[in-house]
Amino acid sequence: MSMDYDVLVVGSGIGGMESALKLGDMGYKVLVVEKEASVGGRMILLSKVFPTLDCASCISTPKMAATIHHPNLTVLTYSEVQGIRRDAAGRFHAKVRQKARYVDEVACTGCQQCETACTVAVPDQFNADLVARRAAYIAFPQAVPKKAVIDRQGSSPCTFACPAGIEAHGYVSLIRSGEYEKAHRLVLDATPLVGTLGRACYAPCEADCTRGSLEGTLPIRRLKRFISDRHAETGADLGIDVAEPNGRRVAVVGSGPAGLTAAWQLARKGYAVRILEAAPEPGGFLRLAIPSYRLPTEVVERDIDNVRALGVEIVTNTPVRDLAALKAEGYDAVLVATGTPRSTDLGVPGEDRLGVLGGPEFLRKVKLGQPVDVAGRRVVVVGGGNVAMDAARVALRLGAASVTVAYRRGRFEMPAHHVEADDAEKEGVRFSFQVAPKEVEGDASGAVSGLRCLRMVLGEPDASGRRRPEPIPGSEFVLPCEVIIGAIGMTPDTAAFASQVGVERRGTLRADPKTLQTDVPYIFAAGDVVNGATDITRAVGEGRRAAHMIDRWLTAGTMDGFDLRLPVVDKAQVLARQQQYTLRPPTPEGVTLSAAPLDFSEVEAPLSEQEAHEAAGRCMDCGVCSGCHECVNVCPVDGCIDLNARDRESEVEVGAVVVSTGYKLFAADLKPQYGFGKYRNVITGMQMDRLLAPTRPFNTILRPGDGKVPERIAYVMCTGSRDETVDNPLCSKFCCMYSIKQNQLIMGALPLADVTVHYMDIRAAGKRYDEFYEQSKSMGANYIKGRVAKITEKEDGNLVLRYEDIESGGQLVEAEYDLVVLAVGVQPNRDAARLFVGEELAEDPYYYVAEPDEDLNPGLTSIPGVFVAGAASGAKDIVDSILHAGAAAAQAAAHLERTQAKAKVPA
Amino acid sequence: MSTTTIREIREIVREEPVMQPRILQALEAGPLTVPEIARAIGCPSDEVLLWVMGMRRYGKIREIKEPSRDGYFRYAAANWEVPA
Repeated sequence: MSMDYDVLVVGSGIGGMESALKLGDMGYKVLVVEKEASVGGRMILLSKVFPTLDCASCISTPKMAATIHHPNLTVLTYSEVQGIRRDAAGRFHAKVRQKARYVDEVACTGCQQCETACTVAVPDQFNADLVARRAAYIAFPQAVPKKAVIDRQGSSPCTFACPAGIEAHGYVSLIRSGEYEKAHRLVLDATPLVGTLGRACYAPCEADCTRGSLEGTLPIRRLKRFISDRHAETGADLGIDVAEPNGRRVAVVGSGPAGLTAAWQLARKGYAVRILEAAPEPGGFLRLAIPSYRLPTEVVERDIDNVRALGVEIVTNTPVRDLAALKAEGYDAVLVATGTPRSTDLGVPGEDRLGVLGGPEFLRKVKLGQPVDVAGRRVVVVGGGNVAMDAARVALRLGAASVTVAYRRGRFEMPAHHVEADDAEKEGVRFSFQVAPKEVEGDASGAVSGLRCLRMVLGEPDASGRRRPEPIPGSEFVLPCEVIIGAIGMTPDTAAFASQVGVERRGTLRADPKTLQTDVPYIFAAGDVVNGATDITRAVGEGRRAAHMIDRWLTAGTMDGFDLRLPVVDKAQVLARQQQYTLRPPTPEGVTLSAAPLDFSEVEAPLSEQEAHEAAGRCMDCGVCSGCHECVNVCPVDGCIDLNARDRESEVEVGAVVVSTGYKLFAADLKPQYGFGKYRNVITGMQMDRLLAPTRPFNTILRPGDGKVPERIAYVMCTGSRDETVDNPLCSKFCCMYSIKQNQLIMGALPLADVTVHYMDIRAAGKRYDEFYEQSKSMGANYIKGRVAKITEKEDGNLVLRYEDIESGGQLVEAEYDLVVLAVGVQPNRDAARLFVGEELAEDPYYYVAEPDEDLNPGLTSIPGVFVAGAASGAKDIVDSILHAGAAAAQAAAHLERTQAKAKVPA
Repeated sequence: MSTTTIREIREIVREEPVMQPRILQALEAGPLTVPEIARAIGCPSDEVLLWVMGMRRYGKIREIKEPSRDGYFRYAAANWEVPA
């Protein structure tokens, strides 16, 4: 029976590469799975190797290239083995997850332009956190394959929460980088209504902002307003890509947020679009309902001008009654997005009296400058939604003697956004809760004189989840008033379409929720006319979806592919990336309210540039990649970057497994007396190796506390090894030698520097190792025998070591240094044991992969057919790792020959 | 002994894009050492070093050859030229 591969090698450090290459040379087909984006493991990150002082890169890269290009090796980088199961025949079945790179590995040229353009900075794990990398990155300069990867861990909660599909994290990230115009363009990619949403959106993004779990959410909506205002001030071009005309025409009926957004998106795809609007002004609810103190008319007009700028024709005073006629006129498709322009009737006697108005009707009159007679009168607004709040606050501004909102449920059940209700109250609107209208009372002239109401009690929750109001018998009372504004709901005006497309009982149009297609294939419907009254962002999202689906339908594409968002990242995991957070004060609210306002000037102040920049700087980059699309914009290869890519999972069958998962470095902060993580000038041996490497993160060896070239450098040996206090009694075997190597390199790079090593005993067992040690001493390195008890930091960042000097009589000494290097030991990588399902890969008492017969059969593990190579079974230097990996390869080959020969024996 | 509480690397690094314009503004008058930049923008030297090295990596600033007598390199905006 054939297998996918003869051997699976897990890990591609020096041990993994060696085993794989040896097996490949023997003719076996090998699959190498590496979790990082490049093969090479830790060795490629080192400066030089001991005792030869050969350049680690120079001797690693040929092996890395050989691994990738070997004809018998298949290498999956940026991939993980998720479970290996052994079957009854002794074969192994491994689940492999290839993590999405979001970059086409074949097409990527390794030019790094994506990395340079990226707006998200994160610690560079390949430089031991000494410097930042970008979310888009190539692991390191010698990476094999030298291909970019985008660190994209999911949708950021703000972006995921936006029904309009706006890349909220992306534009915040661009603002943080000072790229205001690019931020504006990113929002334009979703909708032309940047200024509108920057003011009138209820910002579900902010409700989900992870920073809200700390000291407060980012002002994401106001940041959008900032870039919109900034764009308007500069008069910059829209800078939006628009396709060549495709010869097709689409009619959009209605010019609210859904219609405008759909028209915008269709125009960008090359369609000739005409918007037909029944009202005298375009904009729908935005232009004809939302009051100017929340959304100035000029802002709406500015957004509508964006749509016109793409050649969309907007025709007003043109109600459409015959959708089929539009088809006959030559439109290839029709989108109905007429919203919910009609008020729901109060349904009580006397509703036709003079002085009773519908909420939308009232707001529309005011926006169009038509007379409404509320000055000096007592106004009652019936309803608890946002329209009711708008109507009440507008009535106040028009000089009403008093404004009372009458709502049949309680404050907490109000559908209005709580900010709207709070603001209304602060401006002087009164609330009368748990009252329902029973009759409009009037005088002899037919005018309103009061609203007879019933008091209500809240019963059990209804279908909406809110407690159902029930009348209290005998509780009638009259709210005296001259004007009543009914704002209990809004309904579509679709009677004219009933004979052409399906209409639901509530008057909404029937459309497929995914494709937005009605019963008539060329007629689509989107927004509130389908869903009932919702909000602007949902309408914008529907408009985007409608444009996408109309395009798919007209180009005979499949009716899918609209919502490609990645799953949202887990906020708890985002917060867990840091142990502690510096709390940064949230941006102060910008709304200034006055009691009894008398004008329609905007109540919310804009953010200054400094405020915007600092507010954006609080972003926590939840998804890591922000979705700003700068990488896509600069990539010279079309289609190379796909931010919607997904992980791929597969299962392979192999005859043997080589575990080469390496080791972990001791976490130096577990020795708090040495101050790592607390004193910046205390670093680890791995960090020093990076500072000494040709691809170093700094321009030379500098201390991280202030960039000073250090003159006195101390080494503290056996940090976290041979140390029962941290449960690691084992010697890490190569710390002495890498420290000696670093001593020599430092003295070469900084001839004036003093290097002092505080050690217990030097273990230099190996060919030319002791000579290497003696050479270091002869170069001037100072070796002091004795444990370091404690490190403290001085005001200038220098470090004082308190230690016992055994060879000088055991006296306690204090010495001052510029920089301290902790020669950290190694620890087992217990990921190896978690690879297997159904049986246990045994560990030794120190949690390394156990080799039950290590004296005579190195590389064998507790599972037949599974072998261990390199430091996964215990600390080894490079030479020993290669030798051990060769042994593991030989064991694996012997196993394969044995099992295959057995399979060939006739029964 | 220093009483300054140092922040986590991830948090500091995340702020690099925000700090870039401030650092470049500080360098408008000419090259500065890390402690000088730190004083100019009012931030700790260890944080400034992280930002400066990130900016250096991506070509926004460069070091001036040879450290000063007190052991500090000076850094300049990438497009800075020695005054004639």
